[in-house]
Amino acid sequence: MSTLEVVTGVLALTGLAVCVVGLGWRVSGVQGRPFRWDVAPAKGSAARGVAYAFTLGMAPWAKESTRRHLLAYVRGILLHLAIFAGLAWLAASPWHAEVPKVVRLLTASVLTAGMAMGLAGFWMRRREPALRQLSTPDDYASLGLVTLFLATAALSAVAAWCLPGLWALSGLMLAYIPFGKLRHFVYFFYTRTFFGLLFGRRGVLESAR
Amino acid sequence: MARLDANKATLVKDTLGKLIDRKLLASLEVCVRCGICAESCHYYLADPRPEHAPFYRSEQVRRLYRSLFDPIGRHLPWWVGAQRPTEESLAQLAEMAFSTCTLCRRCTLNCPSGCDTAQIMRAMRTVAVAAGLAPEMLVQLADASIAREEHLEDFKEIYLEQVRALEEEVREATGDPQAHIPVDVEGADILYVALSGAHTILPAAILFHEAGSNWTLSMFEASNYGVFLADTARAKRITERIVREAERLRVREVVVTDCGHAYTTLRWEAPNWFGKPFPFQVRSLIELVAGWISDGIITVDPTHNPEPVTYHDSCNLGRNSGLIEEPRTILRAVCQDFREMTPNREHNYCCGGGGGLVATPEWTDLRLKAGGPKAQQVRATGAQVVAASCDNCRIQLGDISEHYALGTRVVGLMELVVKALVPQRAKGHPLEADVA
Ligand code: SF4
Ligand code: SF4
Repeated sequence: MSTLEVVTGVLALTGLAVCVVGLGWRVSGVQGRPFRWDVAPAKGSAARGVAYAFTLGMAPWAKESTRRHLLAYVRGILLHLAIFAGLAWLAASPWHAEVPKVVRLLTASVLTAGMAMGLAGFWMRRREPALRQLSTPDDYASLGLVTLFLATAALSAVAAWCLPGLWALSGLMLAYIPFGKLRHFVYFFYTRTFFGLLFGRRGVLESAR
Repeated sequence: MARLDANKATLVKDTLGKLIDRKLLASLEVCVRCGICAESCHYYLADPRPEHAPFYRSEQVRRLYRSLFDPIGRHLPWWVGAQRPTEESLAQLAEMAFSTCTLCRRCTLNCPSGCDTAQIMRAMRTVAVAAGLAPEMLVQLADASIAREEHLEDFKEIYLEQVRALEEEVREATGDPQAHIPVDVEGADILYVALSGAHTILPAAILFHEAGSNWTLSMFEASNYGVFLADTARAKRITERIVREAERLRVREVVVTDCGHAYTTLRWEAPNWFGKPFPFQVRSLIELVAGWISDGIITVDPTHNPEPVTYHDSCNLGRNSGLIEEPRTILRAVCQDFREMTPNREHNYCCGGGGGLVATPEWTDLRLKAGGPKAQQVRATGAQVVAASCDNCRIQLGDISEHYALGTRVVGLMELVVKALVPQRAKGHPLEADVA
């Protein structure tokens, strides 16, 4: 292992540690807040509401908004899938040589598509007047980090010499997650659950009536 | 920009801090500003300006939240768009929360993350109340409701006289000279809570009589302006009047008139304030009447309502309370030509009158403009009559019918039922109690 690989590897692991500790701090921040179950007798099923919230309720056709903004929604889904693929590749990357070439090429294509979705995110943020007005440096930095992460991940899947670049960038991105907008995914699981509980229990969602 | 004085700054921070439970925190943190919820809001559809998008509104509150509670927002505010409150920004936030969000939750249903923008706006309303920035009219109406219980003895005689005056109309409609409106009857099965005015007492009295229900009329009105203020202390005191009355009269169930926020409050929200389920059942009159029709307890003839009728789903009753099929059971039975709006049920557009907007005259223009999408929906049905199951919606629908020259008549759902009613009780038809 070269010095560069060792240094960037340590960077990546440090970023991971910061990420885990930081997210733990964020989660404990939510868990530390009061939560009270609704006490009124239910009309529908909370369990079915939550199940819907995480399954069919996420389908592109399930909401008027996602039907109307199909491209934007599909872009978001592809970007998130690519991020998961990128993280999986990051975990596998120290064993680069052992990963079959066909898998690496496939991974690189998925990650490249994800990177394109990231770039499209910049364009959308600039194009929509409301988004343009509201976007903060954090929005751009978060999107930039993710897009660069996907780009370096894609490159490193086909060219091993790019691995230090991936590890350095991963360290930076992972360390940033708890402090910037990227942390939203933690809260997603909460809000979707609360969504399912509310609309399921009250019998609003058809599938929970 | 005038800085907030130290006391007010502390008050704002403390008030918001106490409101941040797990649900609110998650909604404050989850939004990625993807922008796809914009058109789910009737304000944005009516006037597609950035400031009318749900995420734009909630982002203004997030800026306040970040500046007070997020370490990054406190130390690097420019990086995350945090903004410490000033006199001006607080006044703007208060106005935004009360005038440009009806708390309808249509955006929540449409957000891929399920972000509850209505809860965020409600929190902002609470902060505004604490800072003395709430609309005066809502405060006065809420306080008047509280005062009604405190001065009940002064009211009681006048109220009973007004009720007696209505009984003649009940007798006429039912053809039963014995028909009356019971008030303050201990041991009744049902406590019926109406709104101020005869329009929600009379149809219900006729229907209760026809169904043979053992009921009694509440001394209090169902509306709760504390809820519009998002002031739980006031809202709870207003609700307590009804809870105490129900317990004193030992009723089995409280039936709320067709009023969206009153039903949502008593059925779903208020038990949380008391920390336990009520010792009585809470139902809407709509649920009762739908059941009576399905079970053949009352007889209706749809030819009495021959004109095309459409139905406006109140956001509180439908999207927030799950009363979705019951009004349709009624309408299919009492109208000859019932037509759905598109979209409908839980996806229906807010009429623009919710969240207390109907009671705040300073924002009438905004309210009428926000009613534009609803006006289009109504027009597309070709209906001559719009049925509403909420009094605030009824007022707003009447106003937008006039404003947009729709030529529609707006009626309460129960008015249609009464019009279709074929009185049978005098002929020995089975009563609710017999069927049960
Ligand atoms: S509230 Fe939801 S849909 Fe709207 S911008 Fe935020 S994340 Fe997107
Ligand atoms: S709750 Fe209703 S009125 Fe408020 S922002 Fe959402 S869609 Fe608009």
